[in-house]
Order: sequence, then structure tokens, then C-alpha cells
Amino acid sequence: MGVTQDSAADAARPDASDASDPSSEDRLRLPAVQRRTVLTGTAVAGAAVLAADPFATDDAGAAAASPYFLHGVASGDPLPDRVVLWTRVTPQRDATPGSGRGGNVTVEWQVSTDTRFKHIAARGTYRTGAAADHTVKIDATGLKPGTSYVYRFLFYGFPSPVGRTRTAPAPTAAPARLRFGVVSCANLQAGYFHAYRHLAQRNDLDAIVHLGDYLYEYAPGEYGLGQDNVDVRRHVPAREMVTLADYRQRHAQYKQDPDLQWLHSKYPFIVTWDDHESTNDAWRDGAENHQSATEGDWASRRARALRAYDEWMPVRMNSTAALGDGTRLFRSLRFGRLAELSMLDLRTYRDEQVTYPVVDARVSDPNRTITGRAQMDWLKAAVASTQVQWKLVGNPVMIAPVTFLQLPTALLDPVNDVTHLLPRDGSPYNVDQWDGYTDDRRELFSHIRDRGIRDTVFVTGDIHSGWAADLPYDVATYPLGRSAGVEFVASSVTSNNLKDILGAPPRTASLAVETAIKVANRHVRYLDFDSHGYSVLDVTSARVQMDWYVTGPREQRLAGSTHAASFQTLAGTNTISRAAGPVGGN
Amino acid sequence: MTDCVHRDPATPSPFLDGDPEREHLRPASQRRTFLKVAGAGGAALTFSAALGGERAAASTVRPKTWNRAYVLVVDGCRPDEIGSGLMPNLRALRDGGYDFPQGRSLPIMETIPNHVMMMTGVRPDRNGVPANSIYDRALGEERTLELPSDLKATTLMTLARKHGMTAGSVLSKEYLYGIFGRNATYRWEPGPIVPVSGHAPDAFTMNAALSIVEEFDPHLVFVNLGDVDRVGHTDLTGGLSLELLRRTALIATDLQVKRFVDMLKATGRWEKSMVVVLADHSMDWSLPHKVVSLTSPLGADPVVRGKFAIAQNGGANLVYWTGPASQRQAGIDRIVAIAKAQSGVLGVYDRARVPSLRLGANAGDVVVYCRAGWRFSDPHVLANPIPGNHGHPTTEPIPFFLAGGHPAIPRGKSSPLAATTVDVTPTVARFLGLPFPTGKWAWDGRSLLN
Repeated sequence: MGVTQDSAADAARPDASDASDPSSEDRLRLPAVQRRTVLTGTAVAGAAVLAADPFATDDAGAAAASPYFLHGVASGDPLPDRVVLWTRVTPQRDATPGSGRGGNVTVEWQVSTDTRFKHIAARGTYRTGAAADHTVKIDATGLKPGTSYVYRFLFYGFPSPVGRTRTAPAPTAAPARLRFGVVSCANLQAGYFHAYRHLAQRNDLDAIVHLGDYLYEYAPGEYGLGQDNVDVRRHVPAREMVTLADYRQRHAQYKQDPDLQWLHSKYPFIVTWDDHESTNDAWRDGAENHQSATEGDWASRRARALRAYDEWMPVRMNSTAALGDGTRLFRSLRFGRLAELSMLDLRTYRDEQVTYPVVDARVSDPNRTITGRAQMDWLKAAVASTQVQWKLVGNPVMIAPVTFLQLPTALLDPVNDVTHLLPRDGSPYNVDQWDGYTDDRRELFSHIRDRGIRDTVFVTGDIHSGWAADLPYDVATYPLGRSAGVEFVASSVTSNNLKDILGAPPRTASLAVETAIKVANRHVRYLDFDSHGYSVLDVTSARVQMDWYVTGPREQRLAGSTHAASFQTLAGTNTISRAAGPVGGN
Repeated sequence: MTDCVHRDPATPSPFLDGDPEREHLRPASQRRTFLKVAGAGGAALTFSAALGGERAAASTVRPKTWNRAYVLVVDGCRPDEIGSGLMPNLRALRDGGYDFPQGRSLPIMETIPNHVMMMTGVRPDRNGVPANSIYDRALGEERTLELPSDLKATTLMTLARKHGMTAGSVLSKEYLYGIFGRNATYRWEPGPIVPVSGHAPDAFTMNAALSIVEEFDPHLVFVNLGDVDRVGHTDLTGGLSLELLRRTALIATDLQVKRFVDMLKATGRWEKSMVVVLADHSMDWSLPHKVVSLTSPLGADPVVRGKFAIAQNGGANLVYWTGPASQRQAGIDRIVAIAKAQSGVLGVYDRARVPSLRLGANAGDVVVYCRAGWRFSDPHVLANPIPGNHGHPTTEPIPFFLAGGHPAIPRGKSSPLAATTVDVTPTVARFLGLPFPTGKWAWDGRSLLN
């Protein structure tokens, strides 16, 4: 078991300003707009140097951060010739996120192959303002495939932190390896984001795959740490996010988390959303946590959530980095001939979840959908591609069929509290997952079987627990018969899991639940209901391996990380086996 | 039931006379030399050799390579079966060599066309062999593509011979022996033939393979091991996911492959060898009620009735318009519409309008694929009782890897690149140093060796 601890250098990084600490902004001596001469001395020194060591040289990151760029830098959606670059500029003190204050300004951006920015590969300017909440989001084009770059933004000559990114391999390339960090479910109120920090400490990743619940909508006191909902940190604004300003401020708060900032600056993100980017258990025309009487109509609220997401995330929507030109989030990113990653959006087009799955045959109604027709057709085409070997699917909610029939009655409620798996009548299926839309799953699995498609790997988040499962065509007879592919589920960064709800020590009460589930579901090869952390997905032609890492106490500012388990799927098998040990780490 | 041809044992193949006493009946240009050698099991084996191709091969131009290439086809093997635990020797061979997890058979996913693609490097629209079974418009009946004259492209074996090399074929199935005719320098005529299945058991096939290598040492040997396929076809437990008979065949065939590798190593050939291991197609099983029969619905249609013929290829049906040319497109459109409406049908293609199929005119006018877990049965639902079938897309995945001790073979590597049966010829040609044809003669496949 490999163990890494926060290094002294890590602990000493100038990240002490807590995003939720109201005094942190006061420490900054933000200059008035255009008063460049003020930006020296304490102002610069007081800002966090976030992009530490992007190319493992002393030069990188040494360009002091400017208080014009309080929310860090980020990149995302790497393609062979381009990558999305993101930041937010704070042109004047009162131009805070969601405020609507501050005029239009121009920000310069640069992409370079060296940390001194002597060899500029791409550059340009971007005009932003209050209409875009002063976010800056561009598609840096004309880059070379499979190449590492550094990038930065400049406002009146003052640089942002330096970020590092990497383009995808050329479409015809056959890379020997791809390696992704995998995360989901990061609730700021429930603790510190150790998973992000430990991933940022690694130097062997190509990108970070974020499977949703990047932020949470709840007000302070509503969804904190453990049984008592303790707020380790309090959400800003101090209310459930509903208005556009709310969504913008909440995004801004998360973007000021030092661990998340560090990870964003170090690797490109490939993201999708789940429900909490808008609100809990969202579906096409509503959500469990949306009350139209007091919060307005759902379509407007979702549009506001989408707009803030578009502004604040380094992601292409409708295939572009431009703001407001569409909301299509499902998309594919190809990594040469080795893999293609198809990111799903399973909230925008789905029908409403059924309430009583045991008596409601609608879970299998062919007219109900979790993907929507267009996304299903797109996904079927993506997994049928013969241009790439591994068909990776970024999947916000579990697709493996899971029955909880043999779960002890006394544990039904806690399991449900953690994972929203079960209605209180003890129904044995999670209707918020693909289990609640079985005809879509049937259609997809039949497509895979009919076409002889191999090497499909679903990489999933959402349910605050670690899983590895085969995807049998016939659950009843499995392991007789064959599997459509495999699913690896990453645990939550901080969001509560079973032991948190039970108030039990790790690996005690949950073991009975895990055993019962694995007995009733022979295709489930690994299950950890207790741990928080992150995963590393390693892709070679011979196999895809997932390593699960467990992070320490969420309420502590710094905590270590421990390797917990490694499972793999060998090429052509569509099944899971145990792997020898974790990959890389440096 | 023409998924794989199951010959009536009372009707010997015209290409399997195998009788030296009758050889004088052949035209002089086709006459063969019969060579008797001691087989691995102690019994005498008979090989036929093209005139001038007997042991006096040294009389031809001496080739500039010591390399030896062996193509082992584990007929009908699924890629997941290699790692199932039942085939440890094949797995070791794969893991120690250069694996192509994206190995795929090409349409139609049947034995004859994919063996022909392996040995010609070109697709059926160029080699004339799109399926096991076609409707022969001249004959006015369905028949198996097993005549040497059916093959319209130059084979790798012929190319090797033209450049002073020798080639051997050890093909367990009668129709494979038939269609490749006298392409190889040394040819084993399969036997003993299992009644109905029309193939020689792997133990006998391997005896022949060992003998032909040890006795004649050809530069290229093309081997088909038929047991896995033949047992799979008849495994009634396959539809229940048990595959009991099939599993025994996997174990037995794996041991036969071990014999071959052991021989290469024991005789010092391993270090100069490349062993290409692949299947020609995969296998899918269906239950008796999961059948698609097109004859009845097509026959019931007033536009199509009496104006079509079907060549059945297991999971693929080839439908031919036999009516007036003036009604052809309308008839094809109607056939497509009717076929699409049948349960169990996966895809229906107007062949001429889907050139990417690369099947050529022999494949008829409409190609119909069934879903996984289904099979075609024409002219009626009881006509095809075989539980194991192939020909449809679910049977495209195949094991495909390069092994051998030659330093040109990557060790313990896996490639994400696609590899198809049409890649065998250029890969072997590269290994043996044979020239690649260019222009309109260029191969459709590519070498898997750098």
C-alpha cells in the first residue's frame, strides 16, 4: 500500500487563505483599475502563487500571481491542436463575482513551450465584462498534438499564475499510455479537497476527468460533514444557489479553493455535470430540490445554472469555448488510436425519476429516457468506432445494474441517505441511475453486443463510493454469459458516504452492506462504501486500470492519501480482474 | 444450413479425389506430385505438390531469407476465449508477442472469404469471394465458393513461389482445400474427414502441419484448425451460455498449438519464425426460437414473390434479385423494407449503395445481418438447426497476434491499431521480404510490422 503525505513544501505553499474566510479579501490590496504602478510589493506578495512548478523548474510559477486573477487559471477539453484556457479577471476591487460591477476590459493570453514565455506558441486577447462575470474563456488553437505547454493571462502587463496544460495526441498517433485523475462529488461544506491536492502533487497525468457534482447548491447547515451536517467551511453565498448571482458566487468560491486552484493550474480538466451543478436530482423539467413556488420556474433556474457553468468552467459547450452559444455538454475527446472519452450529460434530457420503482413499471418504459434520443444515438456511434481501441465513457451516474434485495432492513435508510439509492419503502433499485431507465441501458448494451464492440469502460461518479463491476447482458445468470464492458466508479472527494451517515468507524458497519450487495450482485467485483478520495485511470493497449486512493479526515486542512485498491480490465475481456498494484505516482 | 458447408458424405468433393491413381485424369498443367512422408503420429501422410515444387524446390531461385512464417487460424475462436483459462498456451503466445486487441474479421464474417482475404490481402470486391455461400446466377442455384476458379486474386502463396520460396497449406476443411487449389507448393489433403462437418480433426491437421514443416520446411505455411469452429456450431449448450462442448475443444486445440510451437523450438526454427495467430471469425449462439426466415415474408410480397434467391451464411443472408432488370431497384427497395421489418434483423444494406462493404457483385443485391443471439434459417424456420453461427457483426472480433522468436517480432506488446484478416498478406510479405504490389494491384491491407 503506497502512502503519500502532504510534504512540507506542500504545507508551506502560500495557500493559507481559505476561500470562505471573509478576511482573505481584506488582506489583498486590490488596486483601482489601470493603476498598474500599485501592483508591486505587498499586493503581489500577498496573492497566492498557485501554479507551483508547472514544468518542474524553478522558473515556472515564479511569475508572481496578480490580484487581478484571484480565481486561478484553468485549462480543459484538450484536442490535438487546441485547448480551452480559462481565468477570471478582477479589474477593480468591487467587481466581485456575481456583482455585475466593473466595465469591459481586455485580457491578453499566451501559450508557450517554455516557462519563461520566450517561445510563444499562441497568443491573443479576449474582451470580457460584467455580462460574462469577467470570466475569460478562449480556445487556444494552432497548437501541436501531444505537447506540453504553459500558459498565462496578462492584464495591463501583469501576469496571472502560470498554468500547465497538454494537448491530445494526433488522431493517428498510437500513444503507449494515457493516465487520468478521476474525481467527483466535491462538497466544500463537507471538508477540504485533499483529493485535488494529492492529484496535483503527481506529475504523471494527462488530464483530470471530473464526473460531476463539482459544486453543491446547498445553504450552510444543509449538507455538511457527517451525521450532524457540520459545515467544515460555509458556502458563499449563505443560501441555496438559485439566482444567477448565486451560481456565479458559488463557482467563484470553489475556484478560490487552493487545492482546486492548484489542480486546475496543473492539468487540463475534462468535465461533465451531474445534478448539484444546478440542484439535487435534476431532470429535464424539474428537480427534487427545486420548488417552483418559491424559486421560480425550473427552466429559468437551469438556464442560470448553465450560464454560470459555461462562464466558469474550462469546457466547450456546443463544441466551442464561446459563451452562450448552446448548452450541449455531451461530447467526445479522442486520444489518438488508443482511446476516446465520451462525456455524458445525464441530467438535461432525462425523464423524471419514478417514485415507487417496485410497483412502477415505468422504470422499463421504452418511452422514458436518461440520455435523450440525440445523445443515445451519438453515444452508440461513439462506442462503435473502430478508429480507437478503448471507448471510455464519462458517466455521471452508475450504469451497472444493482439490486439491493438482500440488504439488511436496518441499513436501508443509511444507504439511501448516502447514495439516494433507495426509496424508503425499501425498493431494491436506485431509480436515479440507469437502473431507473432500463430501456436505455438495454438499447445501449444490445448495440454493444450486436456490433461486437469490445473494450468499453464506463468511468462513473455520483454515489460517494468506489465500485468496480462487470456489465452483464444477463444479470440473472452471470457469470455465465458475457459482459458488455466494465464500470469503474470513483468515490467522492468529500461528500458523505455510508460510514459518515452511520457515524461508524471506517471498515466496520459498511462491511456488512458491501458483502450483502456483492452477494446479490455477482458482477460487482469491488465496493468501498466508506472512503473519500480520488482515482487514477491508466490506459494502455493491453488494459485499463483504475487505482483507488483514500484521503484522510476531511475536516483537517491537510491529510494524507493511501492507495486502497487496483482493478483492471484486460483488452478484449469486457470483465474486471484485480491488478497487481497502483501505477506511477510521480 | 450453409453457415459453414456441411457436406453430404455420400457426395465427395471434386477437389478431394486425393487419389494418385486418378491424377493422370487431370490436364498435364494441373497434374500434381504426391509425396508420402511419415506423419508425427507415425502414420504416413500424403501431400500433393505442384509440378516442379517437390523436394527439388532447390532448383528454383534461392530466396534471400531464412525467415519462416506460419499462419495458424484457430477457426471460429473468440478473442475472450484466449484469456479464458482454457487456452494457456495460446495466451502465453499472445502475451509474449505482439497483440492486436482490435483484431476483426471482415464481411462476410465467414470462413472462406476471410481465409481468402488473409491470403490475398484484398477485399472480396477484388478477390471474388464475399461469402461461403452465394447464389450462382449462371447455375441458378446456391453453391459454396470452393472452386479454384472462384478466387480471382493472386495469393500470397503464389507470390512466394514466384520469388523462389515454397509455401505449404494445411487446411482442415474441404472447401478451403478446394478454393486454394494448387496455390501452395505443398498441400495436405485433409483427412480423415468427419462426416457432416466436412473437416479433419485438429489432431490430424496438426500432424500434417508438423510433418510439412519438418519435411519440407516451407517459407510460408498456412494452417486452419477447424475443431473450435465445428464444435462451436453444434454446441447446443451455447445458447444457454454454457458452451460445454466448445470449452473442451478450446482446451484440445490449445494443446495442438503447443505441439506446433514446441516443434519450432525443438528444431531450432523458433528464432527465425513469425507465427501469425488469428481466427477467421468469431462465434455466436442462438436458441431455437431466435431465428429469422426471410423466404416467407419475401414470398408473400406481390412485388418480390418468385423474383429472389437467398444465399444463407449463418448470421448473414445474401438476397439476390432474380426478376426483370427493369424492376430491379424497385424490387431491391422492397426486399430491404421487408427485411428491416423482421424481428431479429440488425441491419439491411442495398449492397450497391454501400460500397464500403467491399463485397462485390457475387454478394448479391441485399445484405441482411441478424442480431446477436439470432440466426437465419431459410427457406423455413427449421432449415438451420445449428445453434452456433457467425457471419453477423457480433462475430467480427477475433484474436489476432504475432508471435515467434524472430527479433522482428515485438515482445510483450499490444497495439491499439485495428488489425483485420486482410492484413495477413502484407504482414507476412514484409517479414519474408516479398515485394508489395503497387497501383491498382496494391493490397487493401497493411503490414502490422513496422
